[in-house]
Amino acid sequence: MTTPTAELDYERLLPGRVALITGSGSGQGRATAQLFGRHGARVVVVDFNDVGAHETVKMVEEAGGEAFAVHADVSVLAECEAMIEATIDRYGRLDILYNNAAVQMSGRLVDCTEEDWDLTIATNLSAIFWACRAGIPHMLEGGRGSIINTSSTLGIIGSEGYAAYGAAKAGLLALTKQIAAEFGPTVRANVIAPGSIDTPRFRKVLDKTPGADQFVEGLKRSIPMRRLGEADDIAAIALFLASDMSSYITGAVMPGDGGMAAFR
Amino acid sequence: MSGSGLLEGRVALVVGGASGLGEAISHRFAREGATVVVGDIDGKAAQSVADAVVAAGGNAVAVEADVTKRAEVEAMVDEAARLGPLRVLVCSAAIETSGTVVECTNEDWDRVLGTNLKGPFLSMKYALPVMASNGGGSVILMGSVVGIMAAPGLAAYAASKGALVNLGKQAAIEHAPDQVRVNTVAPSATTSGLFMRFSDQTDDPDGLRERVARGTPMRRLGTADDVCDLVTFLASDASSYLSGVVIPLDGGMAARRP
Repeated sequence: MTTPTAELDYERLLPGRVALITGSGSGQGRATAQLFGRHGARVVVVDFNDVGAHETVKMVEEAGGEAFAVHADVSVLAECEAMIEATIDRYGRLDILYNNAAVQMSGRLVDCTEEDWDLTIATNLSAIFWACRAGIPHMLEGGRGSIINTSSTLGIIGSEGYAAYGAAKAGLLALTKQIAAEFGPTVRANVIAPGSIDTPRFRKVLDKTPGADQFVEGLKRSIPMRRLGEADDIAAIALFLASDMSSYITGAVMPGDGGMAAFR
Repeated sequence: MSGSGLLEGRVALVVGGASGLGEAISHRFAREGATVVVGDIDGKAAQSVADAVVAAGGNAVAVEADVTKRAEVEAMVDEAARLGPLRVLVCSAAIETSGTVVECTNEDWDRVLGTNLKGPFLSMKYALPVMASNGGGSVILMGSVVGIMAAPGLAAYAASKGALVNLGKQAAIEHAPDQVRVNTVAPSATTSGLFMRFSDQTDDPDGLRERVARGTPMRRLGTADDVCDLVTFLASDASSYLSGVVIPLDGGMAARRP
């Protein structure tokens, strides 16, 4: 059972903790891997892009942290289980599981193909179930665990063109609360629901959008804080949830959206 | 003083800072480098908390103020603003009465809504423009799980805390362009909050506390440290893209409810 402490070192919040981060070969996951590494965690960098994963490992190490790369496509059950196994083989424990990997395909419900549906649900919902099912027994054995699942503003509100994505991200809210209810007090599980975050993936989508600059300006105006989020904004929330700073918080949803959800 | 200086160089006004969770928050903020203004209706108690903070090596002053009185709240904010850049406001003053909707007296209703809802309204009304002029800041409203889900016999209290949630969202949306963030913390029963006083009035305080702990996924009551960690996170730049949210600090209780 995680015990609260008045003497947390806010500069080193994850001493020796083993933290697996999916999709950490770039963007959001990479920023979090670097932050966790600086706070003393041993980071398991999971991605299906090996080049990106090794770059992240190097960045964590250059900042004085410890990390190693594991190849996995989380949309495949066996690979999800293998990434947990590789973590246990290497470190003998798992303290933090940050399910950050996701795919985002747009398309109204009637235009969403079966293949797109299956891949979206597998990557954004089933993968988290598989990883948690494989990881939780190790957390229980180690006496401690914090699971962080990445939903989205689109898992809370509807938005035209995100049928599969929205469904998967909303399903994740219920799955996380279920884990919180079932595996407290040893394992905590919480959700981060980012709004519009300026990551490489966001930029990639933008590149294909006609009138991208105008679109971004309009988007910013629709956000109460009048700016897009940065990867570091979300990484800081993940650090809070991963650490003992949040030792009495489980089953909660943390929007990281510059106030957008307050409208709904 | 330990601490990592997360709130260095900032003035933090803790309303209701002379006892319970507010007192713990005052101490924690000072350890993180803030100059703390301990605002409370009990001026003597506020002074002794400020003295204790100073004795521990921190910076603090006490201000006596009744949060239901406009002029007193205005004067309290003025005093805080004189000390440096006011960047953090915690609204922790609250009272609790028991009684169903039918049992609750008019006097109790007015008293509870005055302290728990009008108090934060007035505090924000005067503090938000000051924070905006300082380039932004963070407001933390102390709500309750009872403001998210109802509990029998707490009509006025639950109504005040439920309303506080939406007041916070309103302020968050309106002042986000000023870089002022407003978030609500919703604790369940803690070992140093109103719940202890409330349970003391029952026939079997220990039994009640045990039952509440058992009914919580984390199998324990919350502590002042739990609250301080979350409030410090929200007050600091670590939560810079979080605004208008309600964070249950309840060991998983709310996860079981719609």
